Amino acid sequence: MSETWMIAGGWMAAGLTIFLFSFLYRDNPFFKAAEHLYLGAGMGWWFQVYLFNIWKPKVWEPLLSGDFFVLIPAVLGLSLVTQFIPRISWISRYGFTFMMGYGAGLAIPATLSTDFMSQIAGAIQPFTALATMTPMMIFNSLVVAGGTICVLFYFFFSVEHKGAVKKISNIGIYFLMIYFGAAFGNTVMARFSLLYGRFDDLYTFSGANYFYASQILLIALVAYFILHSFLGGKKTEEEEPAH
Amino acid sequence: MKFIKKQIPLAIVMVTGLLMVASYYIPHKYSVDYVELMNKWENIVSAFAFLLGLVSLFYSHYGKIKRKADGWGYSLFVYIGFLAMVVPAMMTDGRQMVDGQVTSLGWSFRYIYNALSSTMFAVLAFYIVSTAYRSFRIKSRQAFVLFVAAFVLILGKVPLGQMIWDSLLGWTGQGVADIIEWIMQVPAVAGKRGIMIGIAIGAIVTSLKIIFGIEKQYMGKD
Amino acid sequence: MKETLQKFFKMDRRWIFLVLAVVLFVPIMRPLGLPNKTISRDARNAFDYVDALKPGAFLLLSLDYDPSTRPELHPQAVAVIRHAFKKNLRIGVVTYIAGSTGLIEQIFETVPKDYGKVYGTDYVIFPYMANAAAVMTQMSSDFYGIYDKERNGKPVRDMPVMQGIKNYRDMALVVNITGTSILDWWVAFVGDKYNVPVVGGCTAISQPGYGPYLQTKQLKGLIGGMKGAAEYESLVKEPGKGTSGIDALNLAHLLVLALILTSNIILLIIKHL
Repeated sequence: MSETWMIAGGWMAAGLTIFLFSFLYRDNPFFKAAEHLYLGAGMGWWFQVYLFNIWKPKVWEPLLSGDFFVLIPAVLGLSLVTQFIPRISWISRYGFTFMMGYGAGLAIPATLSTDFMSQIAGAIQPFTALATMTPMMIFNSLVVAGGTICVLFYFFFSVEHKGAVKKISNIGIYFLMIYFGAAFGNTVMARFSLLYGRFDDLYTFSGANYFYASQILLIALVAYFILHSFLGGKKTEEEEPAH
Repeated sequence: MKFIKKQIPLAIVMVTGLLMVASYYIPHKYSVDYVELMNKWENIVSAFAFLLGLVSLFYSHYGKIKRKADGWGYSLFVYIGFLAMVVPAMMTDGRQMVDGQVTSLGWSFRYIYNALSSTMFAVLAFYIVSTAYRSFRIKSRQAFVLFVAAFVLILGKVPLGQMIWDSLLGWTGQGVADIIEWIMQVPAVAGKRGIMIGIAIGAIVTSLKIIFGIEKQYMGKD
Repeated sequence: MKETLQKFFKMDRRWIFLVLAVVLFVPIMRPLGLPNKTISRDARNAFDYVDALKPGAFLLLSLDYDPSTRPELHPQAVAVIRHAFKKNLRIGVVTYIAGSTGLIEQIFETVPKDYGKVYGTDYVIFPYMANAAAVMTQMSSDFYGIYDKERNGKPVRDMPVMQGIKNYRDMALVVNITGTSILDWWVAFVGDKYNVPVVGGCTAISQPGYGPYLQTKQLKGLIGGMKGAAEYESLVKEPGKGTSGIDALNLAHLLVLALILTSNIILLIIKHL
């Protein structure tokens, strides 16, 4: 990739990034254009990946070499699209039922083994090595096993939650809260990491080797907002502030 | 007609599903051959499922442009974005690198799709902060427990937070990283395992209902 | 007083946006110099498992993340690949997320050169495939039944990197780095069913959800989010974007805590005024 293309890329990426962030201040045409571009670019990327990784090598080329067997899944797949034509939309059921049958058949034994049996075993199994466990390990294993049971009580028992059942399911709620709290804490970190990624790129594009793309585009957008508010900048319905 | 429209599709889901379940437990050459065939077919059928999203998006934006609906000009950008990926792909035969050089397709990914996709999700960081400020209420004991777990995680995952913990609570002899490890390995495991077992039972029941044709909403109406 | 507090509580949230932007951007320009110091049990287990593999062992690397989770997962992938190349492992890369293909190209454009690794001999990149579960199941009996060619259409069966590989029995480890539930599928459809060791890398959001699999050893190790990336980088002694990322997140984390505490204290005062 030549240097010119790299610089052009920096300007393109910095521009699109800043346009999308501009929504945080106020909805505007630059954001809207970038948002729609995202929808199209996403579809375009997926389309070419499907085309060159599956449709061409797995369907088209086998057909050209005389392997007509591949027509069966191809027709089943294409049948899905009939969903958009109400009169013949029932044809899509052939593709859907095949996918559902395959998926359900694969999921039943795997889920039973991985998320059900193994998890029950996981709660009990630590106690088989009781003699070698420290008091803390025993306590932790009890908390995991007991906590799991309490959460299950909260979810499952369709009997009225009162008396002992209510107490147990209430304890279950606390375990769920700790899990959700941990998940929230981690979500904050995850979201900040994504923002860091974008800022890091903007910082890269702000260098002299990119001719200060980030700064210039940011200033241009700020100028647009200032001009817009001066020149008949009444708030239209579609340009409400972002709050 | 009902036979073709309804009964054959239901037979497909039942036969495919039951044979898939059986093949899990029967390690025979026939079952392996059957699963291999289904895998290859499923791979291709799924690839066509993508067309549903594509047709739907194009159709709705084509409608907007045709009707000259409010903001129809923006819909043109959907097609521009699509072409910005597909035209370079056609020119390069889907290759992002040729002889160690990035092609126009690779360029489109790095500077258009990458920037757009990652920024769309990065924006959420701003909203999580303002939501935390406006809506995170410690009103009950349960909310307090949630807050404590979140607080420890947010504080202890970064070095500065660890330093603050050590200077304020270092005397306890417990580092915040140890407490995070305990939360993640003990009470959070109990909470998640309960959810996991619950979802597993739900998924198995739903799958059985699909296979036996009790659940058939996905087929649409007659 | 009450009105002032209420006004402060209901301030335009764009001020909060601005403060966040500042506290996250400034450390990128002027790093605080506070890198990650602690290593979690799960990241260490992931590292140890890869580290214990013998040179020449085959590592199947499933990279299933797109630009939307790139800042967390890309550094993880780079660190694992660097580790594998250092240990002279063979790598086969697969993906079930269309957006991953561009990111995979970016990694392998530069990293193999640092270790003198050759495409086709030391590593190979397979094309994107739809329906991960179907492909995972297929690889248990005949890998080439689904991946007969690499991503540019060259046949793979005779490539030196694939010598002796027919199915999972010939692979030493599966590492899956993803922001989706594909890691659950690797555990359920491959790890548990065919007794293949699976190590994961995931976003911080999904990290707490894998606790049960880690306790039962259904997952041998887990790299979680940006911190996990920083941990793995320091274990491999190759600081990268994970290490610099953690440094930049320091102030933003404290900002969130300050905001939650401030709003709750304000409401408490308003209630009692």
